Amino acid sequence: MNSTNTRSSGRRGTIRRRGRRRRVSLTPYLFLLPGMLLFLSWTVYPLLKAFQISLYDWNPIPGLASPFVGIHNYTRAFNDPIFWLALRNTLMYTVVTVAGQMLLGLTVALLVDRVTFGRTAFRTVYYLPVVTSWVVVSILFKYLFNSSPAGLVNYLLVDVLHLLPDYVRWLSNANTSWVAIMSLGIWKGIGWNMVIFLAALQGIPTELYEVAAIDGASGWQRLWRITLPLIRPTIVFVLVMLVIGGFQAFISIYLITGGGPMQRTEVLLSYMYNQGFKYLDFGYGAALSYLLAALIFGISFTQMHFLQRRIEY
Amino acid sequence: MKRKNWTIALVSGLLSSLLILSACAPAATPAPEVVKETVVVKETVPVEVTQEVVVTATPAPPEPVTITFWHAYNEVSPENEMLTKTLIPMFEAEHPNIKVKSLAVPYDEFRQKLLTSMAGGVAPDLIRSDIIWVPELAELGALAPLDEVMPDFETYKAKVFPGPLSTNFWNGHYYGLPLDTNTRVWYWNKEMYEAAGIAEPPKTIDDVAAQCAAIKALGEDKYVFADGGTYAWAVLPWIWSFGGDITDPEITKATGYLNGPNTVAAYEFLLEFYKDGCLSPSVLGSGVDAGTGYAQDLYANYLDGPWMYPIYEAQFPEKQLHAVLMPAGDGGSISVVGGEDIVLLQQSQHKEAAMEFIRFTLSPEYQLKMAETGQLMVLSELLESDYIQNHPYYGIFLEQLKTAKARTPHPAWTKMDEIITNAGQAILREEKSVQQALDEAAAEIDALLASQ
Repeated sequence: MNSTNTRSSGRRGTIRRRGRRRRVSLTPYLFLLPGMLLFLSWTVYPLLKAFQISLYDWNPIPGLASPFVGIHNYTRAFNDPIFWLALRNTLMYTVVTVAGQMLLGLTVALLVDRVTFGRTAFRTVYYLPVVTSWVVVSILFKYLFNSSPAGLVNYLLVDVLHLLPDYVRWLSNANTSWVAIMSLGIWKGIGWNMVIFLAALQGIPTELYEVAAIDGASGWQRLWRITLPLIRPTIVFVLVMLVIGGFQAFISIYLITGGGPMQRTEVLLSYMYNQGFKYLDFGYGAALSYLLAALIFGISFTQMHFLQRRIEY
Repeated sequence: MKRKNWTIALVSGLLSSLLILSACAPAATPAPEVVKETVVVKETVPVEVTQEVVVTATPAPPEPVTITFWHAYNEVSPENEMLTKTLIPMFEAEHPNIKVKSLAVPYDEFRQKLLTSMAGGVAPDLIRSDIIWVPELAELGALAPLDEVMPDFETYKAKVFPGPLSTNFWNGHYYGLPLDTNTRVWYWNKEMYEAAGIAEPPKTIDDVAAQCAAIKALGEDKYVFADGGTYAWAVLPWIWSFGGDITDPEITKATGYLNGPNTVAAYEFLLEFYKDGCLSPSVLGSGVDAGTGYAQDLYANYLDGPWMYPIYEAQFPEKQLHAVLMPAGDGGSISVVGGEDIVLLQQSQHKEAAMEFIRFTLSPEYQLKMAETGQLMVLSELLESDYIQNHPYYGIFLEQLKTAKARTPHPAWTKMDEIITNAGQAILREEKSVQQALDEAAAEIDALLASQ
């Protein structure tokens, strides 16, 4: 194909060549077209539509009037105590689970990196939670933290280890509910962190460690002065991705506590969902989604800006 | 007379074409205006005449149509079995041109699924709606006003109990007809009473309070009363029987009602009962659920509906249920009305066929068949039937229904219920005093009612 094209263009001169150039520039776009169409209809259109909805007291039934309310849905959020509570909860969830996932993920990666026998088996085992369904493990964690009849956690703490005198009603209190929700978030994320960190660790030339060992550097020194500085780009990448993921926590909270008790474990996404499908207040829900998007954008931008600039190679 | 008929025919024709237009038109034609116009005609036209006109204006479709009916019966329940295996085939045999597709949608997902389908323009024709959703769906514009589109609506309106019928009324129109009704009665545990030396079931709330010591003497894990939460369905029998209420009768404000002295007294009672260890912790979402706890002789009493009988038959066949009226307080013995309405969706393309199915659901055959599965009927003519007269347990429910009240029929009910639930939780957790929690809840509901 290619050679025919070249030959024919050579024979027919400039007009043909101009034609070919036009065809070449069109081909990639034709290949991009199906993807672009999907992107436009499934991502861009809903985005714009959600923005439109956020400016109305939206009636979800097509053909019925929806009054235009301008930025009312946005100003409403700032006077809504549950919005602030949900924002605080979202930030808290993000800080705790991101820190937990990164620390444990990196630890596991460092350990698995040293394993010589059965590394694949370990990697698979740690990665398993990542590929299981959020719905399944959320329900599983709900059972683990059950109080009557006692779930596995209560059973271990009270009946086996005798650490507590009585069963804890984990899910009837906001603070203890967070233990269940956050431990699920961390447990499920360790595998993904491990795989990314492991890839970064394996990219570090072994000579650096050999030289350091000859110079008498201890294990800690090698970790602090060689490993961590060299995987810094990966750390930044993981941090940004996890923070975005933390802000989007929904399924676990929706299934384990449903935002309760008394809306104390509501996060931005669960609150947004409830606005739409519980209170039929789609305008407010859409406005909340835009506020969340602005927040994620702002935080990610700041992270990239400050953390990535200082990396030295 | 003849001239009047002509005018009516003309106006009705115009109206139906307007309705059809508004159904097809995009957002440009706001539907509420059309509704307003029809009101005027409705008031001046005798029912029989409208019927004639509509029948001639829209002849029944010759080719077979399929209507969809959504309900929240459990997929493997006797209700669903009866509906899909007996009743729908019966209807289809009588109406060869109409096929009925029934879909069981879990209660918790029902509203979400319905909204999604309406937004996509593929809503079902009919739904069996919780009575408490009707005002909300009507306000949204999702429902067809049945008193306008159904020519013989008045006939059916006259046949059903007025209480359940009233749950279909919103903003000047009836949007559906009752399908089944129920209320909560007081189940008392005979075996536990005997063990504790309690002679008879309580007649008053004071009698309930007096059971505390005797039941607690049976064991730390025994409770006088259990319920599943602090939501309105659970606390309303107490509030009303104490003489309290949620809002004023016109549903304009909650202050003075939800935080009034009688409602406060009801919550004070529940709080004391909880602190004494007589109200089960299941009210805060932990512990064994009420029905199971009764069967296991953990709970001496609980409130629930007629569906518990078939459930016990299947799950706890050796345990007997004994029911009496809700114990009376200063306000009397007042329980909460539950049940479902059958409503026609505005998006339905086969309204005539769908209304035919509505008529079928209000026939004595249908109502009696569903009654066999624990669904209490809504036709007053059946009260005198042998079936009801000889029924082992429906009598107590019909007795309780005489004084039972419906939850606030308001589009913002879901939010109001959430506010009530949270206030109850704050009270029982002793995070706020009863008065403070109810003052705050009343203020929140006031704001909600003012914004509607």
